[in-house]
Amino acid sequence: MIDPRLPSAPIVTNEATDPPRLAAWLLRRSLPRTDRGETVIGDLIEEWRSRGTTRGASIHFWRQAVSVAIRYRWRRDPRPAPAVHGERNSGMTLDNLGQDLRYAVRSYVKAPSFALTILFTLALGIGASTAIFSMVNGILLRPLPLPDPDTLIYANEVNATGRERVISIAWPNYLDWRARAQSFSALALTREEPVTLTGVDRAQRLRARRVTGNFFTAVGVAPAIGRNFTDEDDKPNATPVVLVSAGYWQTQMAGDPSALGRVLKLDGTGYTVVGVMPAGFEYLRPYDVFLSMGPVSGSRNLTDRGNHNGFSALGRLKPGVGIATADAELRTIASALEREYPNSNSAVSVRTDRLADRVVDSVRLTLLVLFAAVGFLLLIACVNVANLLIARGAGRQHELAVRAALGGGRWRLAMQLLVESTLVSACGGTLGVLVAAALLRLLVAMAPDGTPRLADVRLDGAALAFAFAAAAVCGIVFGALPAFQASGAGGQHALVRGRSTGFAARSHRLRRGLIAIETALALMLLTGAGLTMRTLQELTHVDTGIRADHLLTARFMLAGDHWTDPRRAAFFDDLLARTAALPGVSRTALAFSLPIDGSNWNSIFTVADKPVPERAKLPSAAFTPVSAGYFETMGMRLIRGRLFDRTETPDSPKVIVINETLARKLWPGEDAVGKRLKQGWPETPDHATKPGEYFAPWREVVGVVADVKFNGVSNETPMQAYLPLVQEPARSVALVVRSAAAPATLAPSIETIVRDLDKDLPLFQVRTMEEMLDASIARERMSMLIFLVFAIVALALASVGLYGVVAHGVTERTHEIGVRIALGAEGRHVLGLVVRQGLSMAVVGTVIGVAGAFALSRWLQALLFGVTATDPATFAAVVATLLAVATIACCIPAWRATRVDPTMALRAE
Amino acid sequence: MPPAYLGEFEQLLLLAILRLGPEAYALEVARELDVRAGRSVSRGALYTSLDRLEDKGLLRWKPAAGTAARSGLPRRLYTVTPAGLTALRASRDTLQRMWRGVEHLLKEPTS
Repeated sequence: MIDPRLPSAPIVTNEATDPPRLAAWLLRRSLPRTDRGETVIGDLIEEWRSRGTTRGASIHFWRQAVSVAIRYRWRRDPRPAPAVHGERNSGMTLDNLGQDLRYAVRSYVKAPSFALTILFTLALGIGASTAIFSMVNGILLRPLPLPDPDTLIYANEVNATGRERVISIAWPNYLDWRARAQSFSALALTREEPVTLTGVDRAQRLRARRVTGNFFTAVGVAPAIGRNFTDEDDKPNATPVVLVSAGYWQTQMAGDPSALGRVLKLDGTGYTVVGVMPAGFEYLRPYDVFLSMGPVSGSRNLTDRGNHNGFSALGRLKPGVGIATADAELRTIASALEREYPNSNSAVSVRTDRLADRVVDSVRLTLLVLFAAVGFLLLIACVNVANLLIARGAGRQHELAVRAALGGGRWRLAMQLLVESTLVSACGGTLGVLVAAALLRLLVAMAPDGTPRLADVRLDGAALAFAFAAAAVCGIVFGALPAFQASGAGGQHALVRGRSTGFAARSHRLRRGLIAIETALALMLLTGAGLTMRTLQELTHVDTGIRADHLLTARFMLAGDHWTDPRRAAFFDDLLARTAALPGVSRTALAFSLPIDGSNWNSIFTVADKPVPERAKLPSAAFTPVSAGYFETMGMRLIRGRLFDRTETPDSPKVIVINETLARKLWPGEDAVGKRLKQGWPETPDHATKPGEYFAPWREVVGVVADVKFNGVSNETPMQAYLPLVQEPARSVALVVRSAAAPATLAPSIETIVRDLDKDLPLFQVRTMEEMLDASIARERMSMLIFLVFAIVALALASVGLYGVVAHGVTERTHEIGVRIALGAEGRHVLGLVVRQGLSMAVVGTVIGVAGAFALSRWLQALLFGVTATDPATFAAVVATLLAVATIACCIPAWRATRVDPTMALRAE
Repeated sequence: MPPAYLGEFEQLLLLAILRLGPEAYALEVARELDVRAGRSVSRGALYTSLDRLEDKGLLRWKPAAGTAARSGLPRRLYTVTPAGLTALRASRDTLQRMWRGVEHLLKEPTS
């Protein structure tokens, strides 16, 4: 015998230094953990050595190991097996679990790229869906952070003619509701009313809400320090009082208890601080101060039943009273009021909602659609993982078959696979939570201003539960099922040939089906992305009717009795003159309401030359006092007549400029210039008949201007009437400045001018017109971005999946392709063959996806603007994109197939 | 207690162990069966049968240190217990009783 250690000796290739390791492992696993195992293995090793450690010896070793393993697994012993053997047959013991876990970790560590791909896919799918779930949970699902939020209702008056339109509640109507309604333990009235704090070093704008005396009773939260508001505080001429938030008290009053009794000058009126709200209290959003009703409840503005001044009602239902009962009762009262006050209340009804529902009304649909979209993404991730696991299952088929043949029961093997997929999905879930945390921060930062309840959005227990439930579903359903299928399939074949073509074909079919599903889901997400992109494109190209570039806007408020009409007029003149003198400023003007921003004053009006319609059908317009030069500053087009100019004075003839929509609706086919209209009801006097009486003069239309988008860019332009600011001197005014330079750079100079004119006048909402436009489409932009990201990820996952299946197919068919090439098939034929087969999956998926997108279009439509949910151009583009990407994914392995060397391919067999 | 019933394979195992004397461990038992009885026995059957005989109290074993050839893993050296001998005897007697008077029927042809 040649000593193999001699360097000159030929290497004997079929000798091994160790007995087959897998067989030894198998023995250790099957035998009792006594010296029984050791002695058996020892015997087998000794025999293997004595047989010369040749391949034959190894085969013998294997055969004997297998026979021992089988015998010890299934002892066909009529007598009960001794306890030491008993544990072997049960699938689920802690010992087994530990072994399975160790084995799982090892198997993943051995194939890191496989494990990383799965982890990455899962982390992405779970992360994105958990982030969106957290938004949904925080905004839509989690109860409002108020006591017993389910019995809090929110009510508004609505104009019931045609489409129900929310108008706010008229104060006298509220007083009648409160006196008559039985459903509520407290029915309060409230409105958001930011105020200016003066009498301090530097005037401040405060976040404030005006509330009735019973408001906090209804909410169910009492001040932490001091006293609550009472009904007495609602009475006209009651001492104005204010409750401050804990935050304001701490930061602005240094947490000083003696701050109670201090007087805050808010919008020119002194309010006595009577209490501090508990820390952490928020009513829908943080406020600095809550104001009592007293200072306003006696004003002519509020006591007029026809005036709806921005109030809404908050009610606490009595125990046992449902919202439907409360709603019906309020509607009954509203009908009664309609009969009692036909002049002011015709067609005025009520809408009642759970407070929680109303708060999130504006975003519910968007969130739910995005949640559905992310569900698709999660599904794609799951399908991808399933695909990877099936591919792996096919690769491990030999191992599984050996184990099954050795008496690894189906249940036991399934347990092992379950442990493996659970392990990877648990890791994926953990990573997903990290991804979700990062994504959520991004989403909250990106969320449009005014998104409700953003403060409630966080990763909490529910989100974690969601993430791990998603991970578990992913891992168990989409991981174990295909692997289980692999474990059960074709065991003996696998032992004989190592690779069973029957099984490979079956798993390949399953994978092709999964790819089709994945493609379909990706197509639906792509469609969503395409349609939201089109929407955004439409929105950004809407003709707003103004030139939004190089425009800066800022608001200020001339509150308080000392701002008499002449003083205000003088202030306006000064401000305009000084601002116009700033370098680079070409035009400046003032307006009560700004385009996009929405109207601050909607009113009924009466036309002189038409019969007065029934009250419910009186026309309503957005009334907008503007200074001379406003239209020019905004870049609006004059269609007929003239614009306001310096000839307008408080005493000159009363004039008005209307928009096209108003002209078209009221005087179709006629020249509106020269017509007369009057803000208010037909019976509203056109001049003061007694001191203090409200009146509205007849005004002559002097011009018609082109429509501008007034409530965002997607809403229809309302009828609009512009009044000269000099004849209707408003208190809350926006300054608009057109400049050659970047408009934002003007802000500091304008602030200085305003402070010079009046140190107690803070500027607020300093924004460029373009920022306002952007903000108005922020939600659509965010939906679009989220959809787009989802769609790109989905497309990437689907194409990687497609690539994997096609590449796998090419590998399996190397022999066939080699034969084809040997028989003279040209490269392009092979390419065509592979691409065609790959694309067939994508095409099937596309057809399903298009059908699915059509089916779902109904839900998406509400988020769209200027494009229908079944827009053929979008669908065509999406299908083209998908098929193009799919083709590329197929072409790479197909190109490799054309490079198959026939001699190599054939030798491999 | 009547002696335990022994199957044929069990008898062969016990006899092999008796023949091997003090060096009777599983591998040698298998060789003995192979050489003398012409039985190639799968190790699964071998070890489970040995365990079963041990459970019946017909065998016992003591551990012996392993050699380098078996990577130092221990061996079990088997001996037949008195109960095992009794059972073998009973089996032999049973067979002999059954053989008596039928030998001539089984005579092999001489030509």
